[in-house]
Amino acid sequence: MMDRYTKLQLVGIYAALAVFLTFILLPFFEMFMASLRPLEHLFRSPYQFWSDDFSLQAYKDMWVTVPLLGRYIFNSIFIATSVTVITMVFVVPAAYAYARLDFPFKNISLGIFLGVNMFTGAVLLIPLYRVLRTMGLLNTYWAMIVPGVAFLIPTGIWLLRSYLEKIPRELEEAAFVDGASRMYTLRRVVLPLAVPGLIVVSVAVFIGAYAQQFLFAITFNQTRELQPLPAGLFEFIGYQSVTWNEMMAAALVGVLPVMLIFLFLQKYLVAGLTAGAVKE
Amino acid sequence: MATLNLNAINKSFGSAKVLHDISLAIEDKEFVVFVGPSGCGKSTLLRIIAGLEESTSGSIHIGDEDVSDAAPVDRGISMVFQSYALYPHLSVYENIAFPLRVQKMPKDELEERVQRAAGILQLTEKLDLKPGQLSGGQRQRVAIGRSIVRNPKVFLFDEPLSNLDAALRGDMRVELSQLHSQLDATMVYVTHDQVEAMTMADRIVVLNGGKVEQFGSPMELYHHPATKFVAGFIGQPNMNFVPATVLETSGALTVELDGGHKMSLPVDTSGVRKGDTVEVGIRPEHVTLSDEGLDITVNVLERLGGISITYGTIGNGTRFCASLSGDAPIQQGKNMRLSVAPEDCHVFQSNGNVLRRKSAPALVA
Repeated sequence: MMDRYTKLQLVGIYAALAVFLTFILLPFFEMFMASLRPLEHLFRSPYQFWSDDFSLQAYKDMWVTVPLLGRYIFNSIFIATSVTVITMVFVVPAAYAYARLDFPFKNISLGIFLGVNMFTGAVLLIPLYRVLRTMGLLNTYWAMIVPGVAFLIPTGIWLLRSYLEKIPRELEEAAFVDGASRMYTLRRVVLPLAVPGLIVVSVAVFIGAYAQQFLFAITFNQTRELQPLPAGLFEFIGYQSVTWNEMMAAALVGVLPVMLIFLFLQKYLVAGLTAGAVKE
Repeated sequence: MATLNLNAINKSFGSAKVLHDISLAIEDKEFVVFVGPSGCGKSTLLRIIAGLEESTSGSIHIGDEDVSDAAPVDRGISMVFQSYALYPHLSVYENIAFPLRVQKMPKDELEERVQRAAGILQLTEKLDLKPGQLSGGQRQRVAIGRSIVRNPKVFLFDEPLSNLDAALRGDMRVELSQLHSQLDATMVYVTHDQVEAMTMADRIVVLNGGKVEQFGSPMELYHHPATKFVAGFIGQPNMNFVPATVLETSGALTVELDGGHKMSLPVDTSGVRKGDTVEVGIRPEHVTLSDEGLDITVNVLERLGGISITYGTIGNGTRFCASLSGDAPIQQGKNMRLSVAPEDCHVFQSNGNVLRRKSAPALVA
């Protein structure tokens, strides 16, 4: 048995897990606690961990303080979904080509994709701004969708390629012998078998798109109605005061869809990310 | 008419040359087996015939048509893969129907063809199942079903039985032979198992190191192996090769075997001289216990009931295997004396080529 531990080792493992989880989850917990308190209690000294006046009032008030909040949440999901769909349209054929076909500069271009992955969008903001301005895309949804797609394609190709390589080549050869074209084989044989992989890549892309939209939104978009939630949250910062409790409530509501997706699809994520790691 | 002609096929992967000038003429409705050790190029040759691999040079004709540059489907071939290559997400019905769906065949004709194939292969009950729910033998039949619905001119089989257990393999061998007579089609079958080759083939191609060693009927290969390689490959247990020195070449070939036994063998002696070293090939099943002959030390004795197989040494440690009757009076660790009829012996020159036997058994077609 490889995974048999002594009592002491188990205690160590759980202690380490506890520290790790605390770091990850404490901000969420604090967000939730802050969202439940009236604003003035947030600044009480000494700090009180438990108060007797918890309420869900902030979850109601936030829609009034920031009337466009619903629109922001919709924008967030809309942008992330669009990015995901468009990215997949590009990634599927590209990943298949990298997995199966031979063409010049295959490995070099794949390396370049990996290299691009190392940059964050922030480094390229200014050139991107000029490109988008020239194309007249500033202050539209496209200003947030196009760069999002561009930055997520490399990740998608790398993830999906390793999954597609795992599908036995003989299946495609059999289809080829029977007269099926590459596209027919892709559609009828490869993609149906790659569904778990496609789910993994879509989820990864969606989460990536959700996370990165903030940067593109605050630089490339001035139109209020088009802002996604992370940018919209700024409206809770007023001239007089910052309604922290409502901002926390809005942020929680905003990350909810991503959390739900994670919960439902986590088994695919784990299976998919390790696919191809060992020979089966 | 579906003859299959290969003309001077060469294949290299980079600097490694895997096929050397392969030329074969396969008759219509013939069952031809490519056999050879792993790495001999037999699968590559089959893939070139299928159109999955391109030959470096040479041409392929099916019927009267040059198909060297044609796509697999236009060659009129179909192929059964070693791993079956069934589509796990499709039902048995859809797996068999796949080639017809590609052609966009009308529904009722497709239905009829799939049902007929399923009938031939006893899969009618299984059409709604997924491949994962089938046993190994049934999956194999589905793969064959997919290859027969298209009515191809030539069937190609790439080691189709090697994933099955021994008992099932025996059954499938019989089924494939029946299928061949039922379909009346040309079949090319690749295997590394000489038993499959001997039992199913009309003719066998023995490949070694990318070259054709011999192309002939199973019994021809058994009785008249052209080279030492073929002699050693065909027949179970393998032929024994005993080093010998040529004493006399006029008339019969007189040799002294390792261990001192002298024999006069009825073979063509042209090309050998007195004093040459040759190898005498003796099949284990051609020896009998006697008072005169070869002295063997029995190291291992396997009693299989009907026969006893002994593994021993002769002369200066040359290994020798003998197949004797089930209750032969022999013991492990003891010596025995075996005789062999001179006309049952094969003689190979040091380059591996055989000296033609003058009094070999008549050929069985």
